[in-house]
Amino acid sequence: MTPPNCQTIFIKGDLLEALPAKALGKLQARQSNASDGEAFRVLDCFSGSVAKSGGLLIETDRRLVLYTSDGAVAEQDGTGASAIFVTDLAEGPVKDGLAKVSPLRSLIPIAHGRMSLRDISVVDDEEKAHARARIRMLASDGASVILASVVGLRGYDKAFDGLTQGLKTLESAEAIDVGRVAEILAPDRLRYEPKPVVSIEDGDHAYDVANRIIAAYLPVVRINEPGVIEDYDTEFLHDYRVALRKIRSVISLFKGVYSEEETLALKTEFSDLMAVTGRLRDLDVYLLEKNLYFDLLPEALHPGLSLMFRKFTTERKAKHRALVRHLKSATYVKRIGALEALFAGDGPAAGPEAGLDAEVYASRLIWSRYRKACKTAATIGVDTSDDDVHELRIRCKKLRYLMELFGGLYPEVVMGGLLKPLKKLQNNLGLFNDFSVQQISLQDYLDGLKPDAKGGYTEQAKSIGALIATLHDRQVEERGKVMANFARFDSPEIRDTFRTHFKGKAA
Amino acid sequence: MLVIACYSNKGGVGKTATAVNLAHLAAQSGLSVLLCDLDPQGASSFYFRVKPAKKLKEALFFQSGKRFSEAIRGSDYDKLDILPANMSYRDFDVFLSQMKKGQTRLRRVLKREAKDYDLVVLDCPPNISTLSENVFLAADKVVVPVIPSTLSERTFKQLLAFLKEQDNTGPEKVLGFFSMVQARKSMHVNTMARMRIDYKKRMLATEVPFSADIEKMGVHRAPVASFAAGRAGSTAYEALWSEIQAGLDG
Repeated sequence: MTPPNCQTIFIKGDLLEALPAKALGKLQARQSNASDGEAFRVLDCFSGSVAKSGGLLIETDRRLVLYTSDGAVAEQDGTGASAIFVTDLAEGPVKDGLAKVSPLRSLIPIAHGRMSLRDISVVDDEEKAHARARIRMLASDGASVILASVVGLRGYDKAFDGLTQGLKTLESAEAIDVGRVAEILAPDRLRYEPKPVVSIEDGDHAYDVANRIIAAYLPVVRINEPGVIEDYDTEFLHDYRVALRKIRSVISLFKGVYSEEETLALKTEFSDLMAVTGRLRDLDVYLLEKNLYFDLLPEALHPGLSLMFRKFTTERKAKHRALVRHLKSATYVKRIGALEALFAGDGPAAGPEAGLDAEVYASRLIWSRYRKACKTAATIGVDTSDDDVHELRIRCKKLRYLMELFGGLYPEVVMGGLLKPLKKLQNNLGLFNDFSVQQISLQDYLDGLKPDAKGGYTEQAKSIGALIATLHDRQVEERGKVMANFARFDSPEIRDTFRTHFKGKAA
Repeated sequence: MLVIACYSNKGGVGKTATAVNLAHLAAQSGLSVLLCDLDPQGASSFYFRVKPAKKLKEALFFQSGKRFSEAIRGSDYDKLDILPANMSYRDFDVFLSQMKKGQTRLRRVLKREAKDYDLVVLDCPPNISTLSENVFLAADKVVVPVIPSTLSERTFKQLLAFLKEQDNTGPEKVLGFFSMVQARKSMHVNTMARMRIDYKKRMLATEVPFSADIEKMGVHRAPVASFAAGRAGSTAYEALWSEIQAGLDG
């Protein structure tokens, strides 16, 4: 069976009451199933992945409707919850259409208003339908948009074309892209960009670049606060921390750009902001990887893990409550406000390197960091201590931050070629570190348990003991890959590229 | 693609109502369905408000793939398309009897042009002819409405005898069911009892009652389930479809 013709037209404007008669010829339009004033919400994840993929997801009366860029419309039951994960939806066409939305991000309301609905059938003199249209008008405080989905019936192409054309050529109709509907309905909503592009021009000073990066990332910190408070998903806190870490790395890696005193004060300030979020993020990671942990152990050891995760869930609730109090506190609001004002205004006191040309400064820093990483890597062998592997991880991380922060100064192809093997090495080192940190933290958890039968101590101890052993195996496995991955990063071509682009740039 | 023919060599037995309601219920159950109106009177096209196919005259029906496909119309119901009738179909027999391999023409055209449908329902004109032979060959099941009366019993017997004589098809495709049943008529009750014994393997259990709702399909110009859902006529066709579907699945 040939699938029916289907096209959705998105028009900025008010609800059409009548279709142009000439477009319909001898046919007549019949209206049915009309409703007005129903509430709707536009849902998307905070990073806007539905809109970015050219879609529009609306929820009305617990029903989800997904418009896609190819003109198709899918519907299925929603959950009515204030935040929905795609994985929580029942199987259905809307869930299928949202396959690209990250499972970590929840769909949250980003616009709302009232909806009117009209079903139109274009019929002949025997009341046989030749084409149909479902028209939804979404009106928010700021604007209104018409979504007209025309469905053709096989063998009646003329009516389909007539109705489609008729809608397109309506007076005052301004065709829009479906991905823009949410933006039109909620024009004041800030667009979220977790990685703002910071432009660096020729002749910029190191001090200006540092200020500009920090000023670009502070809004990322702030924009994530409501999501952290509402606890829509774990990625708000993750992005909040990533932005803070970026800022802190500018302060600590851009040596001499700010005065010594200012550097120390800012470093403490941003480290403190990060510190209050640390345990909550750790718990988030544990809970996100819950299934993985269960998969690592045989079923006989699952009850102990269940007990541990139950405690993690309880602890997470408490830590989240504490973080909400912190974010809403006058002290926090004042501190973060003062930092925003500082970087939007004159900036911190300058240091001895502040006036250096940004590119000269960047090249010098990157070259120095690269040399340090190589020096540490040269000492890594089969017998090297874990601490040295950790040291290499930290050095590579610092190098990567610098390369990314100053990325705009160098040809994209050069940076891409260097970052790719570096990222691979870092993934390896990152896993090594994660397995190591998890063992320590599980051991700490175990040490903190009261050894009485009531709290299921023995059960938990057995499970955690087995888990630590498994994680240790994994850590050893990752460690075994470090030398080969570094050798890949340390190729003669990569060494040459580093030397050519970063070594000995004069002021 | 499966093919069900709604057929009877006797007129006025509820053949078109059966084709229309089965096609509608099959589409509702999720199958993609093409209802082919082979009766030049075009009753099933009428029930779906689809106008006759102007350009699909007899020769083109069997020869030109494009014309066949272009004549198909979407009904007002999801997943249900109609191939409307044309008055020239009254000459199908003459035409088919003059064609080479005249008995397999319908089967071939459906295989070619309707392969994308899950189910094709044929609404056939009431006679035994070259067209009927085509229908018997093309169909996986031949659904035959039987009014529990002496005349209907006789034509049913004739049909089975005819099929028995055929080389390339046989009576095992036949699924008879009692149609327009009036339980208070003793003749209906007796005929049904007798036929259930005589044609044990050929008769379905479902009985479709004589129903004002089914008669009103012509007024509403719609399948009975769309305006009288849950009432006797509608539920009887639902039971009939379930029984046929189980047979097709088996």
